[in-house]
Amino acid sequence: MIRYGVDVGSTTAKIVSFTPELTYKVTESRNWEKILNGIPSDEIASTGYFRHKIPHKIAATEITTAIYGVKEYINDPEVIVDIGGQDTKVTDVRKNNFIVNDKCSAGTGAFLEFIAHYFGLKVTDLSEIHHKATHTININHTCSVFALSEVISRLVDGHTIEDLIASIHHAFAQRIAQMIPESEKIVLIGGTAQNKGITASLEEILEQKIHTPPNPQIINALGALRYAEEKEQ
Amino acid sequence: MKTLGITALVPPELVFACGFKPFDLNNIVPTSDARPNNKLCAWTAIWRDYIMNDGLDLDALVVVAGGDCHNALVDGQQAAEKIPAFYLFYPFDGDPEYLKYQFEELSSFLNGIIDSNIMKIVKSVKKNLIKLDQMRTRGMISSELGFQYLISGCDLRGNPIAFKNQLFHIPRIHRDDLPTMHRVALLGVPPIHHDFHRQAEKLGLHIVFDEMPFEFIRHTGVSLSELAESYADYTFARDLKYRFDFLEQELGKRRIDAIIHCTQFACHHVLEDGMLRERLQYPTLTLHSDLPGPVPEQLKLRLEAFSEILWRK
Repeated sequence: MIRYGVDVGSTTAKIVSFTPELTYKVTESRNWEKILNGIPSDEIASTGYFRHKIPHKIAATEITTAIYGVKEYINDPEVIVDIGGQDTKVTDVRKNNFIVNDKCSAGTGAFLEFIAHYFGLKVTDLSEIHHKATHTININHTCSVFALSEVISRLVDGHTIEDLIASIHHAFAQRIAQMIPESEKIVLIGGTAQNKGITASLEEILEQKIHTPPNPQIINALGALRYAEEKEQ
Repeated sequence: MKTLGITALVPPELVFACGFKPFDLNNIVPTSDARPNNKLCAWTAIWRDYIMNDGLDLDALVVVAGGDCHNALVDGQQAAEKIPAFYLFYPFDGDPEYLKYQFEELSSFLNGIIDSNIMKIVKSVKKNLIKLDQMRTRGMISSELGFQYLISGCDLRGNPIAFKNQLFHIPRIHRDDLPTMHRVALLGVPPIHHDFHRQAEKLGLHIVFDEMPFEFIRHTGVSLSELAESYADYTFARDLKYRFDFLEQELGKRRIDAIIHCTQFACHHVLEDGMLRERLQYPTLTLHSDLPGPVPEQLKLRLEAFSEILWRK
């Protein structure tokens, strides 16, 4: 019987189960074996880049598990935006269509990691710093490396780190927004969805509320579990 | 027999009749490990580099100038520095008189028709290819093997009689799993990944229509007039509405469940994607490839996800 949903992505590994309340653990992807800790494969539903590598009974892609996971918290999602470590997936649940951006890191978690590293910050600090900004400026480059060069030149011009972080969030959100079809209920998931600066920027650009479930980074692991439960019935 | 390199669809009936054997330059690309320095589309840049580096034994070249992309035209012009070249223009409006004139000019470039009877042989081979296409749609031969023969409809591998014999020896299969698979049409450019059909099938996607190979096999004729009438209908050379209308009918006949739209880096098919999705109302997966080789992991993820999502219909 499937009891665990496991999502091992490019950056982090997540495991969820119900005991009976929802419990979960998150670790770095390279340590995925530690969170499985001897759980037999026939109790695991897997997703993420490592879905076929880790022990599992049922595997599904993140496109499918996102739909199942989001529905646990939000009724009738129309579009799901999953910002992962190395790609961003936008699924139009109404039309069964999806697009994935992975040709370039500018709209992925890796971009924010890159920027945070430059400023000597943790990526988890970015959200708080964003809200201390007084204004934003346009970051025109769509390439991560060139965007950083642009940020450095703005730093030389005297702009504050807080303003630059908020500006980067805005540029990031603009890139994601281009992938999102018109819809009334957009749900943002993935670890990056915990960054309120990104959510606020997306809401400003799209001029609508962006829904975020609690613990957005475990939604795919939860969805894998629910998907497998349905398959087993 | 002299070899004529072709950059896109050129009637093999006419090429054989002029005493040349056609060689579709694109067929060397999916298994190539060449990495051209200056490129937009890998398809055209790779065959260009092969020609520029004397890697192919060609006597002449036909560059399809009207009816193929501008990348092919530019790379073709470079290649034309090495070997004698003819620029073929398909009519955008489908005028058969104009196309007949183009074919007359092409046959002059190839020193004229010397054996018009061979056109009948090529026509009969294409009839067999149409049957092969139907058998593949019904799952009687593998999708991958079927594709390999259908894509060869452009040059019949340089020998129509030997090619026809090969068609009779394609192994038949009996599949019990077809009801569990999605019937998929492959539109746009053929996939640049040599194992694409096999990988798609593994993931539950049964390809029952390949757009470009179908264009290769459905046009034929036994005289210049007949060829002009038939090839004037080559949909890739016509306006998008014409092509989408044709596809709508063909996809309906084949009762497809979904579309995979194959595009390339720096390719006009990327621009057409939105229009195609709007016009052909099927679940659609757009793939954006660049260099040749086996299907990369990120594309496998998309294929797997597409297969899963189709079950949610």
